[in-house]
Amino acid sequence: MGLLGLFLLWRIDSPRVERLRADLIDTLVPNLEWAMRPVTLLSGMAEDFQSYSRIYEQNQELKRELQQMKAWKEAALQLEQKNARLLDLNNVRLDPKLTHVTGVVMADSGSPFRQSVLLNVGARDGIRDGWATMDGIGLVGRISGVGERTSRVILLTDANSRLPVTIQPSLQTALLSGENSPLPPLEFIEDSDEVRPGDRVVTSGDGGVFPAGLLVGQVVLGSDKRLRVDLAADFQRLEFLRVLRSHDFEVISDAGGLIVPPVTVPLPDTSAEALESAAGEAPTETEGGNVEALGSGLSEGGDAAATPGADDG
Amino acid sequence: MDDPWWRSLLAYRALFLGLALLTLFFRLLPSGQTPGSLPGPDVLLCLILAWMVRRPEYLPLSVIVIVILMEDLLLQRPPGLWSAIVVLATEFLRGRVTLTRELNFPVEWMLVSGIMLGMMLVNRLVLAIVFVPQPGFGLVLVQSLWSIAIYPGVVLLSQLAFNLHKPAMGEVDRAGRRL
Repeated sequence: MGLLGLFLLWRIDSPRVERLRADLIDTLVPNLEWAMRPVTLLSGMAEDFQSYSRIYEQNQELKRELQQMKAWKEAALQLEQKNARLLDLNNVRLDPKLTHVTGVVMADSGSPFRQSVLLNVGARDGIRDGWATMDGIGLVGRISGVGERTSRVILLTDANSRLPVTIQPSLQTALLSGENSPLPPLEFIEDSDEVRPGDRVVTSGDGGVFPAGLLVGQVVLGSDKRLRVDLAADFQRLEFLRVLRSHDFEVISDAGGLIVPPVTVPLPDTSAEALESAAGEAPTETEGGNVEALGSGLSEGGDAAATPGADDG
Repeated sequence: MDDPWWRSLLAYRALFLGLALLTLFFRLLPSGQTPGSLPGPDVLLCLILAWMVRRPEYLPLSVIVIVILMEDLLLQRPPGLWSAIVVLATEFLRGRVTLTRELNFPVEWMLVSGIMLGMMLVNRLVLAIVFVPQPGFGLVLVQSLWSIAIYPGVVLLSQLAFNLHKPAMGEVDRAGRRL
């Protein structure tokens, strides 16, 4: 049966079949857009109409929120000034390569088990697999599958999504793993006692796929007593998404050579005193700040290595 | 010939393709699923089974393969497996068309429910054998139950709107052959 053959082929050589799939979507879905646009608009209008009927309550609610926001705005302005001053002091330059391409959501996968959306930007616009995708505020997901004119974003809520994150201010690292629920749980937290609901969650940049420091959301305590993340991006209405151009990551190619003092000292026996004395001599025999720094570092290492041995003795 | 043109075989096949595209279209709309909400029914599957029980000649193998394979590819499912299962199920029904013609509706419903659950189980079994990650069993079960629940609705709509019913005793087609 050809169909089962196709399934097996997909299981064995998934990338090739997935490319076929991306091509098919690429040709089909943009052609459907003329039909999708009005239906989407209508459903949006229906939702808006529903919200008109609650307009009075909303108005009250908004007034209350506005009051709170004024207080926050004052705090934010002060913080912004402070931040600018500190940045100035530190002479920070923001990464100039971190630019973005903005795309419009064309379709979602339509399946309840796959949380992903299709964007109308693709390889033509320089999109590549693995790039981070944000809405105006927070991280939404990553690019997985690029066609010529379209690309697919796997959302953070998808069951296949795993994202290394850092929880501020305690700087605990954890893994945000999607599971088809609106509040994905945090797994592998180093010390969950230090994490409180309300803490900020940002990407950690571990694994080298995403840039570090993108806002993901806030920690909340789920009804099942697990720590979960309330995502900052508005997953209810994903419309315009930014794809962050991350640059290629540098790869460390060699295993790292052995750093030795430039003077050939006959290898001493393993006692700490010999090591220390060798390290101490090194800077005196050569000139140059580099070597000096290296020598002192080595001597510190020797001290540290020596102390446990002394304790044992 | 008092039969209007839209009773013809080709017209029904085209109608089926149109309906299939329509369901696919609505599932692709970006007004989508919020994560964690319960999955809805698989309308296309109901449609295929209902038509297959009534008039198998309207759904040749090629049409089914095209429609389901396209759905597989567009909805990010493992391509081919679900299509193969649907083909097996429909061929099973096609082979028993003389039997299903005699059944009254509740029995037919039970038969179709059994087939749907069986398809779901086979799908999960094969996916488990080749170690493909799967959604939770509860979600899939809810989807199957939904499909079973709306099956009578699909049948009723097919009968009322498209005049699709089981051939009666001694009914003849346009060329005068017995069905």
